[in-house]
Amino acid sequence: MDAIRTENLTRSFGTLKAVDRLTLEVPRGIIFGFLGPNGSGKTTTIRLFLGLLDADEGRAEILGFDTRKQANEIRTRCGTLLEYSGLYERLSAADNLDYYGRIWHMPKAGREERIRQLLEPLDLYDRRDEPIWRWSRGMKQKVAVARTLMHRPQLVFLDEPTAGLDPVASVALREDLESLAAREGVTIFLTTHNLAEAEKLCAQVGVISRGQLLAVGSPADLRSRTSAPRLYVTGKIPSQAVDQIKVNGLVKKIDQHNSRLVLDLTDLTRSHEIVTQLVQNGAQIDEVHKEKADLEEVFLNLVEDESKRGEA
Amino acid sequence: MITDIFTVAGKELREIFVQGDPRGRSRWFLVIMIGIFGVLLPLQSGREWVTSPISIVVWGWMPFQWVSGIVADSFAGERERHTLEALLATRLSDRAILFGKLLASLLYGFVLTMLILLVSLITVNLVYGRGELILFPLSMALGAMIFSILISGLAAGLGVLVSLRAGSVRQAQQMMSLGLLVLFVPFLAFQFLPPSMATAIHDFFVQMNIAQIVLGVVIVLIVIDLALIGIDIQLFKRSKLILD
Repeated sequence: MDAIRTENLTRSFGTLKAVDRLTLEVPRGIIFGFLGPNGSGKTTTIRLFLGLLDADEGRAEILGFDTRKQANEIRTRCGTLLEYSGLYERLSAADNLDYYGRIWHMPKAGREERIRQLLEPLDLYDRRDEPIWRWSRGMKQKVAVARTLMHRPQLVFLDEPTAGLDPVASVALREDLESLAAREGVTIFLTTHNLAEAEKLCAQVGVISRGQLLAVGSPADLRSRTSAPRLYVTGKIPSQAVDQIKVNGLVKKIDQHNSRLVLDLTDLTRSHEIVTQLVQNGAQIDEVHKEKADLEEVFLNLVEDESKRGEA
Repeated sequence: MITDIFTVAGKELREIFVQGDPRGRSRWFLVIMIGIFGVLLPLQSGREWVTSPISIVVWGWMPFQWVSGIVADSFAGERERHTLEALLATRLSDRAILFGKLLASLLYGFVLTMLILLVSLITVNLVYGRGELILFPLSMALGAMIFSILISGLAAGLGVLVSLRAGSVRQAQQMMSLGLLVLFVPFLAFQFLPPSMATAIHDFFVQMNIAQIVLGVVIVLIVIDLALIGIDIQLFKRSKLILD
């Protein structure tokens, strides 16, 4: 059974379709990245999954429970870190975690042990009794992530967990998240617009823009599906050589920046043909390398295409 | 659900008593209030503080004052500090969250009022007792207890209603302060009534049995408390709170 399964899930606010016919399947036990620009419908999607908002059309099943009829069953089995950490600043880290343990009816000894289990790997256990308003944003965010795992949920929703953190705190939290997820064996649904984060953490990603799911798959899949293989050639390249390869059927797109040519090819295995043609036309080549586009480029391409379609 | 209600109420009270109340006032604020109403005023009033039926008005006013100070924070504060959505995303039912908040405010008002009542009784006995034990008449003691519960319930119900709708804690607190003024409107209005009407009202109450008045007020308060709780239940909608 999938952790998440939706079918044409739709939610509008007035004339704005925040989530538009979302059909998605997320298998259990993976970290799934939900990528999208600000205002693309990521947070609304999580709220729909948790039954905090009702869908206008379509349906969603979370851990096999219907979001409309069994929202409480879903919330019982899920942990959630939404846009804000949601911690009680006047209470200590231990008190915050203890409160959430009580909410899930964990026994006192179980709560204490669990707080130790969660805070020790984050290097926060020794400071557990300090009121957290004294802490940095990064430390609070770590406690907030720990809070989502307090009751050993089967599925965790994290809404931009590293947003607003400095790069060092971001990397630290990402590493903690990765090891916590591996240790706890939970499914994680992570929304982000940090593509490096998604690429490092996620087994699968979905790209959403203006409420519509544009693509879904592993980061490698998306790269190969949505972007052309790319060849970079550096050296002294005369314009006549460039003009010659422009008409080569292998070349989809060509950009020249000073002494560097960037070519999108239909088949990267035949890149030697391009290099030969360039040399035959007088090019003095210093360096050639080929690679597929990174996730950021895939994402930008998808969003750009969707915007153009929207405008059209 | 009972466990959940106590969990929510326990956290609310912990935030207030252990870490200071939402206005940032420390526990010293409570000590000062106990000093004023438990020591200073009883010292000035003497035995009257314990024996005069007018004291019952004070025991009714006090819990409204205490509760209105904290209840405004119940939802508006959580919303302002961005803790509400995390709470709504838990397994807690709507009613457990709502009743937990109501219970915390009610207990705060009731316990604080009873504590002040006890301290004031000790003060009066120490200073004016002269070896004799001065106690509240049974009817007054019962009245003070019942009134403080019902008035705490009134302030909690009204406060939650205001807090659910208010845009900020400050706005909720201002509205609660207005509520406190409304409580005094009947007493103020009485001063401006034509003498004949004032006399008629006075005579009406004088002719009534004190027990009948107390019973009448208690019934009215119960009805208002229940109505407010009913409205709170109707207004507490997860999806609306999320979008607010």
